[in-house]
Amino acid sequence: MTPELNIKPKTYDFYLMLLTSAVLVAIGLVCLYGIGYYTCTNETTPQWTQTQMYGDYIDSMNQLIYPFVVLLLVALGLCIPKRIVPRQSLLAAGTGMLAATFLIALITNIGTSLAFLLAVSIVVQAAVMVLTMLGRGGLTYEREGYFVRTGSSMLHLGTVIFVFDFVSMRSSELHIPVFWVATILITVGTVLSFYPGEAGSIARLLRSGGRTS
Amino acid sequence: MSYQEYLAARDTVTTIGQPVISVIFIFSLALGIIAVYHMLSNDSRAFRLASQLREIDTALLVIGFIIIAWFHLRIYQTIEVVYPPELANYMASTMGTSATSLRFAVPLWIETEKLYFWTLCLSIFLAVTNYRYDFIKTKMTALFSSSLNIMLATFGIFTYYTSNPFREPLPGLHSEITGWYQAAGVGDPNVLYGALYQLYFRITYYYNSEYMWTHPPMLFIAYASLVVTFVGCVFMLFRREKIFDRISYSHAKVGYLLLTVGMLIGYPWAVIAWEGTDWWWDPKINGSIMMWVLYSAYLHTRIYLKRRNMWRATAILGIICFLSLVFTYLLTYIAPGIHAITQ
Repeated sequence: MTPELNIKPKTYDFYLMLLTSAVLVAIGLVCLYGIGYYTCTNETTPQWTQTQMYGDYIDSMNQLIYPFVVLLLVALGLCIPKRIVPRQSLLAAGTGMLAATFLIALITNIGTSLAFLLAVSIVVQAAVMVLTMLGRGGLTYEREGYFVRTGSSMLHLGTVIFVFDFVSMRSSELHIPVFWVATILITVGTVLSFYPGEAGSIARLLRSGGRTS
Repeated sequence: MSYQEYLAARDTVTTIGQPVISVIFIFSLALGIIAVYHMLSNDSRAFRLASQLREIDTALLVIGFIIIAWFHLRIYQTIEVVYPPELANYMASTMGTSATSLRFAVPLWIETEKLYFWTLCLSIFLAVTNYRYDFIKTKMTALFSSSLNIMLATFGIFTYYTSNPFREPLPGLHSEITGWYQAAGVGDPNVLYGALYQLYFRITYYYNSEYMWTHPPMLFIAYASLVVTFVGCVFMLFRREKIFDRISYSHAKVGYLLLTVGMLIGYPWAVIAWEGTDWWWDPKINGSIMMWVLYSAYLHTRIYLKRRNMWRATAILGIICFLSLVFTYLLTYIAPGIHAITQ
């Protein structure tokens, strides 16, 4: 028997999810194009990675992926802080961020504009993570929702740091240490988001000093 | 301990392993036939028989894996790449290292063992899933279980024909080991140093690297888990039963977590091992990013399953995700680049 499904009115969260998913699929399509281009070029010019053609290919892939990374970062900026900051303010801030990013891209270059957006995103996501961990937005420690949102904010902060590390720190000595910070945040964030019940049980157990009631 | 003992171990693996994988093939074939028969007839006896065949198949896959592990242990014990005395002295004086030889600590999921390991992981996931859920309860869940059995049977048969780890165990590694002993027997220091130079990097950055012991198994366990997600998504297309989403999602969580961590921990290794080579936006890397973003999209859409059209959209996305996974796996064999099997 097919159960009746409760169809709710479309909301901000839902559209944001659709935007995020569409951007993710678009990034997937860019990657698919990259596979096709690399394979076909290799067929016609076997040693092409030793030539300028490879540099051009890297540049074109970076340019293709750039708008979707920007959109993804804006979507993250609109999504994660929504329980802490009013949505109207978030939308205004998101639009402002987007405008500033394009302005910087016009004045300087794509790399600098992306680095700016990533740096702002890191500050926003880090603030959201701290506020979430402190229990802002009606969140209560030891509840499943607390761990889902803490995990989610850690996961998104880790992702933003990871992209920033790639875009702006690849030649820095701190590249790999920052990479590990991002990896730890992503991993712990994913575990907390996926298994909040188990995380809550462990937290309660730790708080009770190992006593089970 | 010598090359002869290694060869003897290799022969033993073929002698014992070939019958084991032949029996796995027979049981996989029988499992596939019985599972298809169950899907067509809905005969509960066929369901139970398929369950028993699957359990035996799993046990045989574990036995096969133990044989593989034993062979790898024997490689470690028997093969020793001994540095020429002058090189050992030079390393001791300049680098302060007292090492006089190298041994192979070969991971259990390379070359023809990859698909075998994936199949083994899938069989274990199916054992756990069948333990957790009472699939015989309804007709649809029983069909779902049979579909999973067909997937396992397909993997078993495919492994036997295309990636049998016992027919010719680790052919690439074998040629490297043989090449080393041949170079050592020539008596020409140039040949010996040339062979040692190549082998040193292969052993350090490939066979014995922590990366090879962590990155591939995480991905293969993830792949196995995501096979279950795929079958669940196919059933979601036809039936709006929560159990299919629940099973799909619970396996997608395991798969996504391991996929994410597995992919990430490959990066620091790549920076060192592939320094100076052109690996960025390589087809396999493109494929891995594509697979990861698609699974991220699946996990996002799944949150709103109750909304209009989202059930179907999530199911379709889950199926596309799996197709991208298979495509990404095959890229190693069909596309050029640093990950290519011919590299």
